[in-house]
Amino acid sequence: MHQYPRFNLFFLSLFLMFALTGCPGPATEEAEDTEKESETKEVLLEPFDAPKLADLDAQVEWEEQPVLDSLELLRERQSHEKPLVSVDEALKLKNTNQEINEKILSALGRLPQNDEEVDWGATINRHVGADLKSTNPIMGSSAVEFEVGSLTGFGLFSFDWNFKPFAVSDTVVSWQSSKDKLYDKVVLRDDLTWSDGVPITAHDIVFTFKTIMNPEVPVPAVRSGTDQIRWIQAYDDQTLVFFHKESLPTNVWNLNFPIIPKHIYEKELKSDPTLQDSPYHVKFENDPVTGGPYEIEKRERGQEILLKRRESWYMQDGKQVRTKPYFERVRLRIIEDPNTALLALKNGKIDEMALNPELWKTQTEDDDFYKTCTKANGLEWVYFYFGWNCETLFFKDKEVRQAMSYAFNHKEMLDELCYGLYQPCTGIYHETAWMSPKPMSKPYTQNLSKAEKLLDDAGWIDHDGDGIRDKEFDGKIIPFRFSIMTSSQPLSLSICTLLKENLAQIGIICEVKPTEFTVMQDKARNHQFQAMFGGWGTGTDPDTSINLWKTEAARNYVNYSNPEVDKLFEEGRREFDIDKRAKIYGKIHELLYDDQPYTWLYFRNSFYGFNKDLRGYVFSPRGPYGYGPGFSSLWKPVEN
Amino acid sequence: MQEQTENKTAPAEEQKPVKKSPSFWVETWQRFKGRKMAMMALIYIGFLCFVAIFAPAIAGTKPVICKYKGHIYFPAMGYFRRQWENPIFFTDHFRNRYPENLKQKDPDSWAIWPLVYQDPYRRVYDDEWKGLPGNPTQDNGAPSLRNWFGTDQRGVDVFAQMVHGTTIALLVGFVSMGIAGVIGILIGALAGFYGKWIDMGLSRLIEVVMCIPTLILILAIIAIIESPTIWHMMAIIGLTGWTGIARLARAEFMRLRESDFVLAAKTTGVGQFRIIFRYILPNSLAPVLVPITFGIAAAILIESGLSFLGFGAPPPNPSWGTLLNLGRQNLQMWWLIFFPGMAIFLAVLAYNLIGEGLQEASDPRLRDA
Repeated sequence: MHQYPRFNLFFLSLFLMFALTGCPGPATEEAEDTEKESETKEVLLEPFDAPKLADLDAQVEWEEQPVLDSLELLRERQSHEKPLVSVDEALKLKNTNQEINEKILSALGRLPQNDEEVDWGATINRHVGADLKSTNPIMGSSAVEFEVGSLTGFGLFSFDWNFKPFAVSDTVVSWQSSKDKLYDKVVLRDDLTWSDGVPITAHDIVFTFKTIMNPEVPVPAVRSGTDQIRWIQAYDDQTLVFFHKESLPTNVWNLNFPIIPKHIYEKELKSDPTLQDSPYHVKFENDPVTGGPYEIEKRERGQEILLKRRESWYMQDGKQVRTKPYFERVRLRIIEDPNTALLALKNGKIDEMALNPELWKTQTEDDDFYKTCTKANGLEWVYFYFGWNCETLFFKDKEVRQAMSYAFNHKEMLDELCYGLYQPCTGIYHETAWMSPKPMSKPYTQNLSKAEKLLDDAGWIDHDGDGIRDKEFDGKIIPFRFSIMTSSQPLSLSICTLLKENLAQIGIICEVKPTEFTVMQDKARNHQFQAMFGGWGTGTDPDTSINLWKTEAARNYVNYSNPEVDKLFEEGRREFDIDKRAKIYGKIHELLYDDQPYTWLYFRNSFYGFNKDLRGYVFSPRGPYGYGPGFSSLWKPVEN
Repeated sequence: MQEQTENKTAPAEEQKPVKKSPSFWVETWQRFKGRKMAMMALIYIGFLCFVAIFAPAIAGTKPVICKYKGHIYFPAMGYFRRQWENPIFFTDHFRNRYPENLKQKDPDSWAIWPLVYQDPYRRVYDDEWKGLPGNPTQDNGAPSLRNWFGTDQRGVDVFAQMVHGTTIALLVGFVSMGIAGVIGILIGALAGFYGKWIDMGLSRLIEVVMCIPTLILILAIIAIIESPTIWHMMAIIGLTGWTGIARLARAEFMRLRESDFVLAAKTTGVGQFRIIFRYILPNSLAPVLVPITFGIAAAILIESGLSFLGFGAPPPNPSWGTLLNLGRQNLQMWWLIFFPGMAIFLAVLAYNLIGEGLQEASDPRLRDA
């Protein structure tokens, strides 16, 4: 079955503009540390003399690692879970509370009992909020690209709903790690082919690795993580060894990256390292050679992307060698406006879409919606925050940042603006995550007197009597007037406007500045903002957060710096004992909570509308799709 | 015609310079008055101006006048400009909640409140006003006795937003067409009066500017400017919307420069600029006023359209178009579409009626009709 190759690495994703519409939020950029970037601008990959396999085997103590079929894993899990209601009953239910939600998921979120139930010729119409920029999987940077990549590409590794990594039995025969996690040995299956019939071999993976690490290739996102691998050596067509830079428990998350066919891309890599500009590359951009369960059949820019099940994926020499994907065709319809998308869902033009709180609460309650659709929700570890740029005069003091958190009316936001659907967020880890601190940090509540006192203590007092707080810096009086950068999604705007209103009450002027997505990303990266409203998705390992908090890390947009946090992150990634790791990350969580470089606002759970024909949706902390099996567990029953 | 008596009521500035034909404007006004629809439209615009000026006294949460600790204050002025709200209310930790704090901090205080206790920028919360519950939020804010036009998703009163949004709607029209009028008349006058290569050059300039799509230019400018405001929009609408005015002014000037009174002025040695501005301009104004009026209507539509698309002034701006945009997110909340939609429709209709009335009233060929 197809997996979510990129999602392993694809850690904290920026949910700014599209997130709240249910459009794809995640969009990543280069995530390597800036320091490293400047040092290794020219050569990202030093030549490496890989030892002989026999020498390595003699030297290293290998440990077997799991090679699994994620669908089997899910089937195994579901065999212990009894459906609370029958399918027919579930289809009649209206999802008004969590108990009903459980019932709906338990009945409809199941794999088929047997193959006869499945409509193998079915097409699923999925909703995406933006078009694809590139069909080349290593050029991906936004959610749609990874979504398409996960269907058309093939990967060696995946992880389940508990973020437990495993190798995928569709592509891998065996996977071994050295005891110190410094080496990983993978043996590929020999019955894999590209869509043009050429066999997929270990050399493709090595070639892809070298291409990703080639500084001349403009790889926007997937280089992060991959750059932590020292070398990959192919010993024959099937056997690969990954050499890591350091002995770290997080190395496993770096193993996976999208794979491109060597025989296609090596020809013009030298003459056109962009992989996009030359006529040759354009040809393969429009008609890519892919290795996954689906291939691109048709693409109408701005309209839809149509994928077709690839027979050579699951059939080899007339024999079925892999699980047959449930859908014959996957159509990704591009609809930007959530209301238009909802109409499309009701009309059956699309089969699923993420719903924002307003749609969930106000427009999917009536019979009109339940005639063709149903809906379900699940916990998701995606949090939203106000980020305070700690290098500005305003927010360099911890007291001021805490005052901001006290000034904001969290209750109004949660109950009224978010329709009471989201849970408060108190820090970087979710309370149900293993790495969250015990006891969990308490959510802030509005306390204007406390905020005023903190500001007074920090020296922000109205000296010139104009009703606005100010403070003297080098003889100049600076009024407390800043702007907050946000996407122009209605919910983001409402939340920022609420902040403006609350701050005005205590003599601070805050301008709300709706900013276009790409401009916002650019400004955030260059720290050209005073405050911003944004969101982050979760990584599979708490270590992924290092990218946000380590001094001068690439996504440390708010310029946060705390030597203790830096130290703890380094310790955490070297610690193999999970309990000790949990303590370390819990401590980081607490330190950040105390420093409040962000005002953490809420966790955005996943809310989805589904056509009644759809079955098999299971939610994980990364939503219903971003894990293994994820999308591949969805199916449509034959009509009776 | 009672020209003599009507002289006094005619606008003074239009009368003085045009000594030779004082009756033209009077006649126009007479005929305009005779058009019921146009008059109603004019009265309606007058009403809107009134609403815009007195907006904080109609809907607001700050007292219009209050006595606090022995002094008289006008906190509602803060709606026009933050600085005009006396800082004493900040120092005394009022936190923008007047009713309760006035009583608490000075029992002898009194206040005259706006007609409607509702704020255009924020929701009114529980127990804020006479112990009443707060505004309904989400999609529960249908029109009621407390919220005449309902509330939006955030719980902000629609009536208050519309009252305060009147200022933007009117300003956009007046300011942008003011700019357009000045540029258009100036360029048209120069082109029409001097003719020859000046006319050639300026006419080409007009054609070039005509080709600029206003909406797209505004979108582009908004993307470039650090913090775009409503004033930028007005400036752009004005800077691109003068071409029609310029063409009409040019034609008028071409016609009038050949007329006898101009020739007479020339022969008596009146300066060129005097001829342009004091002799010809007043006589060419009537046809030019018509596109200006229509332009105001168009400017209101552009502003509403931009706000509707979410490119308007930064939030929270109580603009009619922004309300429409909120309504678009949830069509069940009809009041978010109906009331602002009607306001835009009526304002645009009124300007168009005035423009039409003006056109017909000032057209000499229709004089006897």
